[in-house]
Amino acid sequence: MNIPTRTGAAGQPLPLIDGIEKVTGQAIYTADMDGRDALTGRILRSPVSHGRIVNIDTSKALALDGVMAIVTGDDCALTYGVIPIAMNEYPMARDIVRYRGEPLAAVAARDAATAERALELIEVQIEELPAYYTPSDSRAPDAVQLHENKPGNLEREVHHSFGDITAGFAEADLIREEVFDCAEINHAQLEPHAALADYDVERDRLTLHTVSQVPFYVHLTLARCLDMDSSQIRVVKPFVGGGFGARTETLNFEIIVALLARKVGAKVMMRLTREESFVTHRGRPQTKVSLKIGLTKTGQITAVDCEVVMAGGAYAGYGLVTILYAGALLHGIYTVPNVKYDGYRVYTNTPPCGAMRGHGTVDVRHAFECILDRMARDLGLDPFAVRRANLLEAPMFTANGLMINSYGLGECLDKVRAASGWDTRKGNMPAGRGLGMACSHYVSGAAKPVHWTGEPHAVVSMKLDFDGSVTVLTGASDIGQGSTTIVAIAAAEILSIDMARIRVVTNDSVITPKDNGSYSSRVTFMVGNAAIEAAKALREKLVNAAAKKLEVAPDDIECEGETFFVAGATQSVLTFQEVAIAALAEEGTITVKGTFSTPIKAQGGGHRGGAVGSTMGFSYAAQVVEVEVDADTGQIQVHKVWAALDCGFAINPLAVEGQIEGSVWMGLGQGLCEETHYEDGLPSHANFLDYRFPTIAESPDIDVQIVETIDPLGPFGAKEAGEGALSGFPPALVNAVADAAGLDANFLPMTPDRVLAALIKLRKAARKAKRNKEALI
Amino acid sequence: MKRIVALTLNGRATEDAIAGNTLLIDYLRDTHGLTGAKKGCDGGECGACTVLVDGRPRLSCITLAASCEGTKVETIEGQAKAGRLSALQRAFHENLGTQCGFCTPGMILSATSLLRTNPDPDTDEIKTALGGNLCRCTGYVKIIQSVKAAAKAGENP
Amino acid sequence: MSEALPDFKLIRPTSLDEALNALTAQPNTRLCAGGTDLIVNMRRGLETPDVLVDLGAISDLKTITMDDKGLRIGAGVTLRDLAGHAGIAGAFSAITQAANAIAGPNHREVATLGGNLCLDTRCQYYNQSHWWRKSNDFCLKYRGDICHVAPNGNRCRAAFSGDLAPALIVFGAKVEIAGPDGVRSCDLADLYREDGADHLTLTKDEIVIAVQIPPTDAASAYDKIRVRGAVDFPLAGVAVACRTDASGARHFALAVTGTNSMPLRVDMPDPLGKDDDPDSYFKALEKLVQKAVSPQRTSTIAPHYRRLSASALSARLARALI
Repeated sequence: MNIPTRTGAAGQPLPLIDGIEKVTGQAIYTADMDGRDALTGRILRSPVSHGRIVNIDTSKALALDGVMAIVTGDDCALTYGVIPIAMNEYPMARDIVRYRGEPLAAVAARDAATAERALELIEVQIEELPAYYTPSDSRAPDAVQLHENKPGNLEREVHHSFGDITAGFAEADLIREEVFDCAEINHAQLEPHAALADYDVERDRLTLHTVSQVPFYVHLTLARCLDMDSSQIRVVKPFVGGGFGARTETLNFEIIVALLARKVGAKVMMRLTREESFVTHRGRPQTKVSLKIGLTKTGQITAVDCEVVMAGGAYAGYGLVTILYAGALLHGIYTVPNVKYDGYRVYTNTPPCGAMRGHGTVDVRHAFECILDRMARDLGLDPFAVRRANLLEAPMFTANGLMINSYGLGECLDKVRAASGWDTRKGNMPAGRGLGMACSHYVSGAAKPVHWTGEPHAVVSMKLDFDGSVTVLTGASDIGQGSTTIVAIAAAEILSIDMARIRVVTNDSVITPKDNGSYSSRVTFMVGNAAIEAAKALREKLVNAAAKKLEVAPDDIECEGETFFVAGATQSVLTFQEVAIAALAEEGTITVKGTFSTPIKAQGGGHRGGAVGSTMGFSYAAQVVEVEVDADTGQIQVHKVWAALDCGFAINPLAVEGQIEGSVWMGLGQGLCEETHYEDGLPSHANFLDYRFPTIAESPDIDVQIVETIDPLGPFGAKEAGEGALSGFPPALVNAVADAAGLDANFLPMTPDRVLAALIKLRKAARKAKRNKEALI
Repeated sequence: MKRIVALTLNGRATEDAIAGNTLLIDYLRDTHGLTGAKKGCDGGECGACTVLVDGRPRLSCITLAASCEGTKVETIEGQAKAGRLSALQRAFHENLGTQCGFCTPGMILSATSLLRTNPDPDTDEIKTALGGNLCRCTGYVKIIQSVKAAAKAGENP
Repeated sequence: MSEALPDFKLIRPTSLDEALNALTAQPNTRLCAGGTDLIVNMRRGLETPDVLVDLGAISDLKTITMDDKGLRIGAGVTLRDLAGHAGIAGAFSAITQAANAIAGPNHREVATLGGNLCLDTRCQYYNQSHWWRKSNDFCLKYRGDICHVAPNGNRCRAAFSGDLAPALIVFGAKVEIAGPDGVRSCDLADLYREDGADHLTLTKDEIVIAVQIPPTDAASAYDKIRVRGAVDFPLAGVAVACRTDASGARHFALAVTGTNSMPLRVDMPDPLGKDDDPDSYFKALEKLVQKAVSPQRTSTIAPHYRRLSASALSARLARALI
C-alpha cells in the first residue's frame, strides 16, 4: 500500500498535462493529421437491413478517373470481433448483409468528390431477407436466423442463481415486480471516427493512426484480418475526442482503410461523417428489464429475480459481456443474498451494440433503484433508510464471488442527504417540484481481461537520462479522461520530484509498452499501480546511487522534494541532478518498468461467466436530483444535482470532479432525452439535431463531493471515478418525477411526449377511480 | 471557378485562390493547416467549428470562405499572444473546462466573443452564449466555471 | 454522406437590382442569405444549384425602421440584430422572443429574417444524407414518388419550422417582395401554402426584401416546445398577440409553427369580454388550436404530443397576456 504524502503531487487538483495543446488548438486528432499526400477513403454502405448479396460490380467505379482502388467483402475473408469466442463480423459484408449501413465496399480516390461519385457507380444486387428490429420479432418461432450457429437469434443466454430466491421471497413482507423499457443510446463522442493508414509496399509494413481506446486490439485485429505478422504493424493513437466505450472494439473502418492502403500501396485517410459514426454504433442496447424484489418491513432485501432482454444489433461485438455484466452487477452494492438472473442477448437487424460508459449495469440499476424507491414508499420508509438497511460491510465477497475491499456508500448517502437539504425539503416542495435519489456503483477495471494471455495487466516503463528528465512510457489511452496526467502524478509522487521534470509518451506501438486499453475504468487502478511500481524501481536506483556517493547504507538516505540526504545529517545534501548523474555513472541511461497484475481472488466466482463483473474494487455513488415537471407539456427541468462518489482516493481531485460531473450529466442525457430511432432499420437519429444530447442551456449545476475510503489495492488507495455515478442519475430522475408529479415511469428516456402521455393516462385513471368511488357511495 | 479572396487571418493578411464552394473550415484546415476548428457533425449542429469573423462567432462548417472577403478571421491558434495563453485559454486549462478537447476551440472562441461584449456575464448569459456549442465530456459545469474564472481575471479577451 | 459541397458559381451582389438580375440570368440559381439552413442542405445533397446568389453584401436589406407608421424590418437583418433591437423588444415582444429561440447563438449571428421566413420545410425522411434517402427510395419532396409520412396522401407533409413567421403574422405583418416588375406586398400569411414540397408562394424570380407591421398596442408572446433548451427546431411554436379594446374586452391573434407545412394562423373565438369567465374561454381556445393544427410524423417526436403541447402552450401564453 502506497500512502500518498499529501504534500506531493498525488491528491492535488492539477490541470491536465496535455491541456495546453487542447486549449491552443495544437492537439492533433486523427482527422487533423496531414493528409495532403493521402488518398480519400469512403465506404459504400448497405441500403437494406437483411439480405443475400448476389453481386457487387465495381467495374464502372474502377473505370472512373481518380479512383485508385476498391475493396469489397472478397478482399477479406477473415472475421473479427472483440471477444475471441464470438468473432462473427467481416470488415465488409460477405454473402449476407445484416443491417442498413453495414459496409459493402470501399473506395480510395484522389479526393472526396471522386470517391463519392465512385460509390454511386458501384452496382449492388441484394436479395432481401426478412428483417427484425425487436427481440420479440427476432425470437419468433418462424424467424429467419441472422447467424447460422445461433438458433432463435439468441447471441447468448445467461442463467445465474445464487442463494435461494424461493425462500427469500417467502421471507419478504413486500414484493414488487415491474418491467422497464430503456431505449438504445449512443456514445456520441464529439469527434467523428477517423483513421489514417499508410502501407509501405517495399517493407510490407502497415502504419495506422486511429481514434481507438484500445489500440492493441486494433493491432491484433489488423494482423488477423490482413493476415500480416503483427511485428510488421504499427498502431498510433493521436489525441482522441472522447470514446465512452465506442472505441473499445476494433471498428470496421479501421480494417477497411488498412485494406485499401495495402491494395493501393499508399496512404489513405478515412474521415467518417457524423451519420457514419452513429451507424458504426456499439452503443447501449435497447433493454427490457423485468425485476422483482422482496423486502422486509424494515427494508432489507430478501430476494431479487431479474430478467433482462437486450436488442443487441446484428453482430456479437461485446454482447455476451454486456449481458453477463447486467446480471453480475446486481451484486456488489447492497446485501443481496438470494438472486436469480436470466439474461438474453438477441440479434436484431440494426447496427451492432457494444460497450458504453457503465457497460451492462445502467438499465438494470435503473430498474432496481426505481423499484426500491417505490417499495420504500409502500412501506412508509425514507428512500435513504431503505438503502441504509442493505449496506455491505467491507472486506467481503458477494454471493457471486466479487471481491470488495472498500465501501463508502454510507458516507456518500450522508453527504448528498445533507447537501441537498433532503430532510427539510423532501415533501415540502412547491407543486410540480420534487426530489429523488438513487445509488450506483462500477468496477475499477475488469480483473480478467478479454484477451487473457497470463501477462501482467499493465506495464509502465520509465527512462532517466543525462539531462535529468524522466520520461514515462505508457500504452494507456488518454481519451480525455486524464489518464496521462494520472501516470505523471504517480511518478512525481513516488519519485518526490517536480511534475515539470516528467514527460509522458503514450500510444505508439513501436515505442510504448502494450496496454490493455481504456475500458471498464481500469487505467487509474492498473496503470496507476504499474506507474507506482516503475517509479519505485527508479527511486531505488537513485537512493542506491545517493547512498554510495554519501558512503552510507541506502536505508539511511532520505528524500525531501528533489533532495537526497543522510537521515539526521542534513549537511550532506545532494540534488536530484547530482544523484541522477551518479546513478547513470553505474549503468548509463536508466530504464525501469513496473507492472500490475490482479490477484486471483479478485477474478470472480467459478461459475460460467463469473469473471465478468470481477474487479479489484468498486466505486460507489449516491445522488439527489431536483426536478420540476410541467404538467401541461410534459417537459422536465432538472434544477440541480447533488452527487457523491467514493473513488478510494482522489489522485487528481480536479479530474475526479470532472469525471463525476461528466458521468452524472451523461446519465442525465440518457434519462431525459437521448435515444436512437430506426425507420425500418434506417437510423433517423444519426445527427445532433435528432440525437439530442443536452446543451449547456438546460444542463443543471452539479454539486460534487468526493468520498475517500482508501482501497487497500488501489494506487494510493484510488478506485475508479468516471463511470460509477452515471447509472444513478436516470433512477434518481424518475424517482424525483414520482415525487413531483405522482408518476411512476417505467420508460427511458423521459422525453416530454412520453411523460405527457403517461401523465394523461394517470389523470384518466384517477378520474375513473374517483367516479367508481362516487358510484359506490 | 476560383477567385482571389483577401482576408486577415489571425492578424496576418492573406490572399488565396478559393473556389466558390469552399467552406471556411476547409479553407482554414486545408489551405492554412489551422486544424483547431473541428468538424464534429455534418453541418451546423455542434459548434466545434466555431471561429471568429470580425470578432463574432461563426460556424465555419456552414460558411463559404469566399463570403469572408475583407474580414478579420480569428481561430484558436491565434488566441495565444507571444506564446502566452489568453485568459480564457488559461481558465479552460486550469479549471478543466476541457476534457477530450474536441469542443474546446469552438467553445473558447464563442466565450471570447461573449467576454468582449459582456466582460462579467452571469450563468444565464454564459448559457445563452454557449447554447450552440455541444460538449460530451464535462457536463458543462467546469465550462461555466472556466468562463467565470476568465472574466474574473479581467484581461481583454 | 458527402464531405464536399457540390460545384456552383458564387455571386455576391451589392444591390437588390444586381441580385434580381443574377437570379434570372441562369437557370438553377438559388438565393442564399445566412446559409445556416441552405448550406446544411447542400452538404446533404438536397440542393444542387449551379449558381448561388449570396445576399449578404446588400446593405439596403439590413435596416430596421420604427416610427408612427409602424415597423419595417429588412429581410437581411440578422436574427442577432433583430433580437437585440430594444424598440422591437418593447413593442413587439413576440418577435424578440421568437428570434432568440431560433437555433443556437452562432447561427443567429448570420441567419436572417428573410432566411427564416423562407426556411425550407423539414421532415425526418428529408433532412437525411443521400445514402439514407436513396436507401429509402427518396420521397415526394425530393426525387421520390411517395410521402413516407402519409403514403396515401397526395402531397408532401414536411413541416414548416421557422419561428419568426407566427410571431409576425399575429401582428398582421405584410411582406414586401421584389421581382422583375417591381415590388409587391402581401399578407405574410399568404407567402405560404400547405404543401411541404412547395410551401412558398414566391415565384422563382422574386426576393423577399422586408416585413412591415402596422403600429400596435397589443401585448404579445412567443414560445416553442422543444426537447432541449437550445439549438432545436420547434416541435411546435406559438405566437399570441392580445389587444384590449375600450370596453376592456381582449382580442387575441394566434399563429402556430412546426405543426403544418405552413405557419398556421388560427382563427380566434369572439373576444374575451371583461365579465367573461377566462377559464372556459381559454379551455375553448385550447380545443380550437388542438383542432386546427395537424402535426404529422415528420419528426421522431410523436405528432399527437405536438398537437397537445401546441394547444397547451397556446392557452398558457394567451392567459399570461391578460
